[in-house]
Amino acid sequence: MQFSRIVYIELYKTFRKPRTYIAFAAIAAIVGLIQLGFYADGDNYIQFGMQSLSDSFDIGGEVLNGYLMAYIILQTMLMQVPLLIALVSGDMISGEANLGTLRLLLTKPISRTTLILGKFAASSIYTIALLMWMALWSLGISVLVFGANDMLILKSDQVTQIISSDVVWRYVAAFAYACLAMITVSSLAFFLSLFAENSIGPIMATMSIIIVFTILNTLDLPIFNSVKPFLFTSHMLGWKGFFDVKLNVNNEQIVGSIENLRAVLISGLILLFHVLGFLSASILVFKKKDILS
Amino acid sequence: MNSVIQISHLSKRFNNFTAVDDLSFSVNEGEVYGFLGQNGAGKSTTIRMMLSLIKPTEGSINIFGLSLEKEREQILSKIGAVVEKPDLYKYLSAYENMKLFSTMCGLSLGRAEIMKQLAVVGLEKRANDRVKVFSQGMKQRLGIAVALVNNPSLIILDEPTNGLDPQGIADMRSLILMLSKEQGKTLLVSSHLLSEVEQIADSMIIIDKGKKMVEGKVSELINPEKVQVEIISLDNNAAKEVVLASQWASGLIEASLEKILLETKKELIPDLFKFLVEQGILLVSIRSTNTLESYFLSITK
Repeated sequence: MQFSRIVYIELYKTFRKPRTYIAFAAIAAIVGLIQLGFYADGDNYIQFGMQSLSDSFDIGGEVLNGYLMAYIILQTMLMQVPLLIALVSGDMISGEANLGTLRLLLTKPISRTTLILGKFAASSIYTIALLMWMALWSLGISVLVFGANDMLILKSDQVTQIISSDVVWRYVAAFAYACLAMITVSSLAFFLSLFAENSIGPIMATMSIIIVFTILNTLDLPIFNSVKPFLFTSHMLGWKGFFDVKLNVNNEQIVGSIENLRAVLISGLILLFHVLGFLSASILVFKKKDILS
Repeated sequence: MNSVIQISHLSKRFNNFTAVDDLSFSVNEGEVYGFLGQNGAGKSTTIRMMLSLIKPTEGSINIFGLSLEKEREQILSKIGAVVEKPDLYKYLSAYENMKLFSTMCGLSLGRAEIMKQLAVVGLEKRANDRVKVFSQGMKQRLGIAVALVNNPSLIILDEPTNGLDPQGIADMRSLILMLSKEQGKTLLVSSHLLSEVEQIADSMIIIDKGKKMVEGKVSELINPEKVQVEIISLDNNAAKEVVLASQWASGLIEASLEKILLETKKELIPDLFKFLVEQGILLVSIRSTNTLESYFLSITK
């Protein structure tokens, strides 16, 4: 009861702040621009990408369709979205400290654990809302504008074709996974916001950690190989696994299949452990914290 | 009389700095308790510990007979507080702030009830204005309305007159007296102005460098008969000579080119004024200065 009250209050405050809507506007603008670009010049782009395949395959139908557009947009944006997530999550505690309202909140009869859980839940709900907004624009609007057809995914060594009836559930799963990945970012920014009295620090620190970890991922040096599997950034693009399909002996897609489901689940679990770790650390730190702001 | 607050051997150290040092005091039910000290004396740190914002290094805090460490939520449900500045959500209106904090306290107050509470602090006509357009005085009053939203038995106000104009200070004083006398609330009011506390408090404590200097009934601690008088004239040297040669010389504390300070009985101030005028001293001002500094000096002599 007390927890749901706090979540309601935190959501109310979050959605009354103008900065909350920056992320929604930014996503609508970026996705809209990508869609406009592909609407105007997408066929040339696709033809260029398919050049090497046209000699070996007979490609028919609308390759550039809503499903492919959503894939392209997701791939482009999921590394930029963390900044938009950190904008709100990094402000959850530090923003209150900066306003001076943190001490007022803590003079009310609510336990610190409940408060931190309520705030975390609110920032997670915001993250999910942002991803749903992104899904609406990247998938919903794309399908409306570009239509729906079989999805052709071009990778360095292969082309995957997913029949249109087998695509939607994959997107539902991919967005659910993306929510988990972004909640990981959100929980990191949330944790860092405990140590600051303005939101710039936690936002910058969150982005710095993501950048450093991403660089470590790309460096093919043995010294870093042992830590890479444990970095959350190594698993943030795990949603792509839902678009890797199994093929039968005739090289045809097996409907409803995922090539390496175990790897996707392990990646999801690692992200979940990170979320729980950041959340537990936040509770421990906040319970002992002297409120001096 | 029951003790509402009991502080025992409370200390708080930040690394090598001791902000509060072995402080003990108690506040009785229904009284206005003045918590006095210079800036940096440890008042806000003590208040933060009483509200569990800061954990004490040593000592215990019991409020309503319960241990703050063990019964935090139960105790806080009966306390209203404004700590230092009355910071509120600037992007929300006064009404929304009230609604939000009442919900946080587990109350579901209707609009009429919230408006009634805003009327107590004179903000009912500004209920829908955002806090960011409020003056310091209005923020202070709204802070008190938020503190009162759960109808607390104990109200803790940290420097409530800070940043207020003279009218605001008078309004705040009336509000504190109304809460105490009409509603029977227990109030702990911190201040660095002795004259402020003198007018509202029943009991008081003075702390310095985190330590208790003195505690007791205001009427017993401050001798109302004796006051310090500051005299400023166009020629302070001449005034000094006149004072030294008169019956007032025994009360002389300090004489400089800027001012003359002397101690006398309150009812004799008009006589002093008359005497100086008769002696041809061109007075600029003559006023009683029961400042905390002077009181400190008198109790540490």
